[in-house]
Amino acid sequence: MLWYKVWLETRSRFLTSLATLTIFSAVFVHHAEGLQRPEWTAAYNRLLYITQQYIVVMWILAVILLGMGGIVREKATGASSLTLSLPVSRALLLGVHVGVGALEAIILAVVPWTGIFLVSSHAGMPILISQVEFYVLLLVAGGLVYFAMAILVSCLVEGEYTAPAVAFGLVFLTTIVFDAWLRPLNLWRLVTGDFCLDRHTYLLSGRFPWLGALACCSVAGVMLLVSVRVMKRREF
Amino acid sequence: MTSTPVIQTRDLTKSYGSAAAVRGLNLSVEPNCITAFLGQNGAGKSTTIKMLLGLVRPSSGEGTVLGMRITDAEENREMRRKVAYVAENKPLYGYMTVEQTIRFVSSFYTDWRADIASKLLNEYKLPPQRKVKSLSKGMRTKLALLLALARRPELLILDEPSEGLDPVGIEHLLQMLVALAADGVTIFFSSHQIAEVERVADHICILDNGRLLVNASLDELRQSYRRIDLVFPVPPPEREFQIVGVERIESKGHEMRVFASKNAEAVVERAHNLNAVSVEVAPVALREIFLETVKEN
Repeated sequence: MLWYKVWLETRSRFLTSLATLTIFSAVFVHHAEGLQRPEWTAAYNRLLYITQQYIVVMWILAVILLGMGGIVREKATGASSLTLSLPVSRALLLGVHVGVGALEAIILAVVPWTGIFLVSSHAGMPILISQVEFYVLLLVAGGLVYFAMAILVSCLVEGEYTAPAVAFGLVFLTTIVFDAWLRPLNLWRLVTGDFCLDRHTYLLSGRFPWLGALACCSVAGVMLLVSVRVMKRREF
Repeated sequence: MTSTPVIQTRDLTKSYGSAAAVRGLNLSVEPNCITAFLGQNGAGKSTTIKMLLGLVRPSSGEGTVLGMRITDAEENREMRRKVAYVAENKPLYGYMTVEQTIRFVSSFYTDWRADIASKLLNEYKLPPQRKVKSLSKGMRTKLALLLALARRPELLILDEPSEGLDPVGIEHLLQMLVALAADGVTIFFSSHQIAEVERVADHICILDNGRLLVNASLDELRQSYRRIDLVFPVPPPEREFQIVGVERIESKGHEMRVFASKNAEAVVERAHNLNAVSVEVAPVALREIFLETVKEN
């Protein structure tokens, strides 16, 4: 039943994020209807690329909010005593939070692109399914780092507003710092598809960056392990 | 026959920086008893309870609950299956309804008794579909108590259980505690409501500044604590009564009041030897014992 608790705790954030992303996708399709020109393909693909940028921004905001909460947040509201008096380990509590949150994050990545794909096909402007898969995979694989970071921050910082503020600040700061000095390692550019983009066709081309995705999953994994350790040692 | 204590701590200490919240606590709670844990705000009661439940790590010392070490995560988790706990602030999830809360908590315990939960839900007049965040403080307290009382735990730990309850709710709670204890449940509870404690507790622990000052049965305390009012034609110096067991002496003109935790007979004898014209020995209520104990410390 822990999953049920996490779902009840996060569902308003999840459903709000899902609604926002869905509305955004609809706006995209509506906007794309104005691109019915002979040279529309490149412009259309460019629009897809720009759409991914916006989806990434909204998705990161959403997964950071989904990563918030948990026992440390409950400490601030006083509910942690009830959770921690249950006969379950802290690792399991965190694990279920991560599991439900990750599933919600994946749904938030898949739904808008599926919506764009379906509505575009219906409107006679089909998108290559391989492009959709590419964008979604980049978002999920790379984006899990943001989710894991949100979990870690939520294990370290108590405040209701402080924790998301710190997480958003970290995303902003790391994006700027990496873009200035470590551009090849800039997660933002990986997730948005910037590294894989053909600037002439605006299609994602070449092989999927499995190495980058693997590195992201590893970093996310390390962050989650650190979160478990922090949670085990924390006092309530 | 000696029974194994349900709660046992040895030199249990918790410090936050240089401030000690609990100092060298040696506590022993016997099974099938109602043990009251008294102390002023900040005395260390809640910290002690949190250490017992593994929410806070002790700085030093050790302890067991139901024979399981409080500092071992696995043993502590196993112990929580057999312990019901109601925290001081009656923590609940505001985003759940009453019904969802009950369903959620009940799923973790094999000793959950749906019949009792249903009975308490009706008695407490809790609206099942109402969100917890919209419940009054009293109703939240009742729901928190329901979650603990609808089980058959081996140990029930309550931190300020009657806070927020109306007189009817308090009466019901006290009756429930007595019934549970009669049914073999050990109850360990902290409270500031000494009149309630005096009604139900078998054993009293008084904590002050993190130190355990009193650990005795209520009967022992009632038998040993005495207030002795004396009147002298010529008041003797107070030092004449500074004998073992005398906690405090108050002098006012020809009258003297001696508060003794034991040895009242010796005080009376000394008073007669000093030509007291009036000697009145009176039992002391728990409230006075508590106030004298923490004042003395």
